[in-house]
Formats: sequence, structure tokens, C-alpha cells
Amino acid sequence: MKKRLQMNGAMITGTVIVLFFIFVAVFAEQLAPYDPHALGIPYLKPSPEHLLGTNDVGQDIFSELIFGTRVSLFIGVFTAVITTAIATCFGLLAGYYRGIADKIITGLTNVALAIPSLALTTLLVAYLKPGKTSLILAISITAWTGTARVLRAKVIQLCQLPFIKIEKTLGVSDIVIMVKHLIPNLKDIILTRMAMSVSSAMMAEAGLSFLGLGEYGEKSWGGTLHYAFYMNGVIRGYTWWYLPPILCTSLAVMGFMLIGYYGAKRRN
Amino acid sequence: MGKHLIKRFLMALLTIYIIITLSFLMVRFMPGDPLMHLVGEEEYYYLAEFNPEELERLADKYGCSGTLIEQYQKYMYSILHLDFGIAYSNKQPVLTNILTSMKWTLILSFPTLIFGGIIGCLLGVIAGWRPGGRFDRIATPLFLFVNTVPTNCIGILAMVFFAFKLRLFPLSGMTSGNLHGFAYVRDVLWHAGLPLMILILFRSSGNFMQMKSYVSQVAGEDYVITARAKGLNERKVLFRHVMKNAMLPFVTNLCLQLGNIFSGSMILETIFGWRGMGQLFYAGVSKRDFPTAQACFIVTATCVVLGNLLGDLICSWIDPRIKEDLQ
Repeated sequence: MKKRLQMNGAMITGTVIVLFFIFVAVFAEQLAPYDPHALGIPYLKPSPEHLLGTNDVGQDIFSELIFGTRVSLFIGVFTAVITTAIATCFGLLAGYYRGIADKIITGLTNVALAIPSLALTTLLVAYLKPGKTSLILAISITAWTGTARVLRAKVIQLCQLPFIKIEKTLGVSDIVIMVKHLIPNLKDIILTRMAMSVSSAMMAEAGLSFLGLGEYGEKSWGGTLHYAFYMNGVIRGYTWWYLPPILCTSLAVMGFMLIGYYGAKRRN
Repeated sequence: MGKHLIKRFLMALLTIYIIITLSFLMVRFMPGDPLMHLVGEEEYYYLAEFNPEELERLADKYGCSGTLIEQYQKYMYSILHLDFGIAYSNKQPVLTNILTSMKWTLILSFPTLIFGGIIGCLLGVIAGWRPGGRFDRIATPLFLFVNTVPTNCIGILAMVFFAFKLRLFPLSGMTSGNLHGFAYVRDVLWHAGLPLMILILFRSSGNFMQMKSYVSQVAGEDYVITARAKGLNERKVLFRHVMKNAMLPFVTNLCLQLGNIFSGSMILETIFGWRGMGQLFYAGVSKRDFPTAQACFIVTATCVVLGNLLGDLICSWIDPRIKEDLQ
């Protein structure tokens, strides 16, 4: 009993963290004291006017962070939605129809699994114009495999159960079976895997933007950290510059991870 | 058994082929003349204006003239002869650069594989054997937390704390130079210390999570209950029944990690100025040195495929169930 409460606690903590960041992202304009792109006096220390000081071109770091929430969350959530949608389609098709569809999709999954994702993502972002869309596209290409595998296995299991077999014998159309019977049964897995995808996409985004492969001049947490590192903020010991984006990224990733990990555990 | 091996092998070859083709198509279908990607933007415009013949000669050399099929044939021919072109960052053959970088990356990634594997496995077994026990309750949230911090963040924090504040490790780079023999080895290890520690920490935490879930899954199986009912002591149950079964997926995972041996440390290499594969790849991408970037991608992806293949082979070799299925 105690254990169950604990797990719910972890999930509630995760949800609170996620809701907090969504709130910040939605009301970024109202919350941020300055325009994050406005130039000013560089390298200011934290003060009541600039809560976290200013960066190398005098932009307010606190406002940068608030607007960064938008970009980081958007990339994370959007990528997760795309990958989960692809994975669900593939999982359903492969698990339900088996045969050739299964063979093709499994082969595709194996190929996608073999591609080192960070490498492909870096290469793609380099060929395409660096920016939000290429980041999302590049992360999505390899990120769907895990979920697709899990879903395929689960669908195969479900198809062995009497209620699906009965529906099939009754001649209910495949699409109705998938949408009305299979997806509701897969809902838990899909949602928890999606929360996990958000966290891994945000991690990937943090890494790529940190490497300077995000959109030029766009405010994201990884981008702020990129400038803090390459414009000597770290070497000069400007804690207020490099620590907040690290904390924000870790906290947001942890929020989604808590939902995903303990959600998956509760299911068992 | 033989048939299974051949099938796996062919599948791996096919995957490598697809990866090579993919990297060919990626250059060709990107916006702009592919030659621009291959010789570099400045060079391209310069040549186009002042020396069109030279540009044509280059197009011929890089296999950018003729139809797509002809280009593809030329491309495959040079890849099969391990000719990845000339890097335009230092005018050396790309392959030479890659081999040098691989050596440096191995210094980081090989110990990570070994120590991360051992530490993660041991701690995972302890936590998974007694889920909800004291160790599990402390270690699981801790490692889960490590898993949530992006690599670059921990890299920077460790750099600030250990290298900058405590001055235990150098800030970046690989050697101090002018050293030979034993002193040189010690110096390189000292430089590798910080990135190595972080990599091992991350790898251990990943392995810990996996091992823990495998062990706790196996611990609930009927044959474990039978083993206990037979009167085997806990140690024998753990080593003879639980560990043996939990090791299988773990070994597969280790092989996957072996495949990632050249591509797993890119961000840390960049932070600590470690000139390995990751850094080479990153420099290739950010300096628009496309032959290097492309070759790095092909090499790392091929390693991953070979790692997967090895995992498959080892698993079918140690697991009597798969072995029997195949015969």
C-alpha cells in the first residue's frame, strides 16, 4: 500500500513539474520582464533589474530562459507526438496483419535501430538548414523504433485474446477493431512511452542546440548553454549564466521521465 | 544454425548497404548543387566564377557528373575501396583522419564499456534481487536522476567543479606535450580522467536500470520458486537460475553498446576537447567538411550494425533455447 502511494507521489511530482513548464511556456510574454532579443549592456551580474544578469550581447538571461521554455518544450512534445504516431501505426499494422507488412516493418525497424541517432541527426541538421523543423525531423527519424517494437509485441498478444478473435469472426472491419478495441487497450503504453519520448527528445535537443546546431539566434535552453560555454561564461565562473539552463533542462526532462517511468511501473 | 547465421549476416550487409545509399542520397537531394557540399561553399563560388573547367574536373572526380545511376556506381566503387575523399580541413585523406581519431576515442570508450558494464551489472543485480529493499530505494532514484541530466550539463558541471574549482584535472585537451614513455601514458590518462568518469557514471546508470528490470522480471518466474522450494540456498538460486537468465538480454545490450563504441561520446569529446571520432564528426559538420562528416557517419553506423550482429551471434551461441530452435 505504502509503495503504491509512493509511486503515485512520483507521478504527481512529474505532472506538477510538467504543468509548471507548460504554464511558463504559454505565458512567456507576460512573465518575461524583457524582450529576450533586445540588446543591452553585456556581462551584467544578477541584480533586481536583471534577475540572472545579461549575456555576452546584453540580453536578459532570465527572459531568455522563459522564452527558451517555449522552444525546448515545443520540440520535445512535437517530436514525441510524431514519433508516437508513427510507432502506433507501424505497431498496429505489423502486429495485426502480420505477414508481409510485419516483415517490412520489422526490417525497417532493424535498419533504423542500427543507425546511430545522434550521428544521423547531426548530419541531417548539417545538410538541412539548422532550425526547429530540421531538429524535429532529424530526431523523429530514429526515435520511433522502441515504441513500435513494444506496441507490435503487445498487439500480437492482444490478437490472441478471445474478444478480438470473436470480433474478427463476426466480420467487424479491421479499422474498427484497431480503433475501438486495440488502441484503448494500448492507451497506457502509448501515453507512458510518449512521456518518455518527450524526455529523450528534449535531451537530444539540449545536446544538439548545445553543439550549436539549433536555429541561429533562437532562444532555447541548449542555445543559452551553448553561448555560456563558448563565450567563456563557464571559464569566468558566471554561475547565473550556465547553471539555470542546466537546471531547467534537467528538471523538465525529469518531470516527463517520472511520469513515464513510474507510469510504466504502475501498469505492471 | 548455419542457415540462421547466414541470414543474420546477409541482413547486416543489407543494412550497411542501405546506410551507405542513404548517405549518398542525402547529399544528392539536399537543396543546392551537391558539388557545393562536397568542395565547400566558398571554394565552389570561387571556382564557378573564375575557373569553371576546374569545377567540371572536380565534379568528375567526386562523381557528380553524369546521371544519378552513374554517380551512384562511382560512389559505391570508391566507398568499397575505402576511398572517402580528401578532408578539406587539413587536406589529408579522410580515412587517415578517421583512423587517428578512432584510436583516441577508444581510450575513452573501451574502459567505459568494461567498467560501466561491470558496475551497472553488479549494482543492478543487488537492486533487482531485493526490489523495494534499502539499496533499491536509494540507488534507483539516484540513477534515474543521473539518467535525466543531459550529458552536456553534467560535463560542464564536472568541468567547473573538478577542473576549475578543485584543479584536480586539466580543463581540456589530451596531453600536455613533450612527454615520452610512462610519463606520457600517465599524462593522457590524467587528461582522460574527467570525461571517462562521467561516461562510466552514465553507462553504469543505464546498465543498472536494465539489469535491475531483467533480474526482477526473472525473480518472479516459476522456476525460481521451484528452485527455492527444492531447498537451494539463496546464493545458488541467484547465481544458477536468476543470473543465468538475466545475463542474456544484458549481453545483447552490451553488444549494442560495443557497436556504439565510436559514436557514444560525441558531446563529452566536444566539451573536453578530446580529438576523437565524435569531435572529428562535429568539426566536420560545423566546418561544412562534408566528406569527413559523411565518412564518419558511415563508419559509426557500420560499427553499430556489426555490434548488433555480434550480439545476435553471442546470444544464439549461449542460449540453448535459441540454439535448439535453429537446429
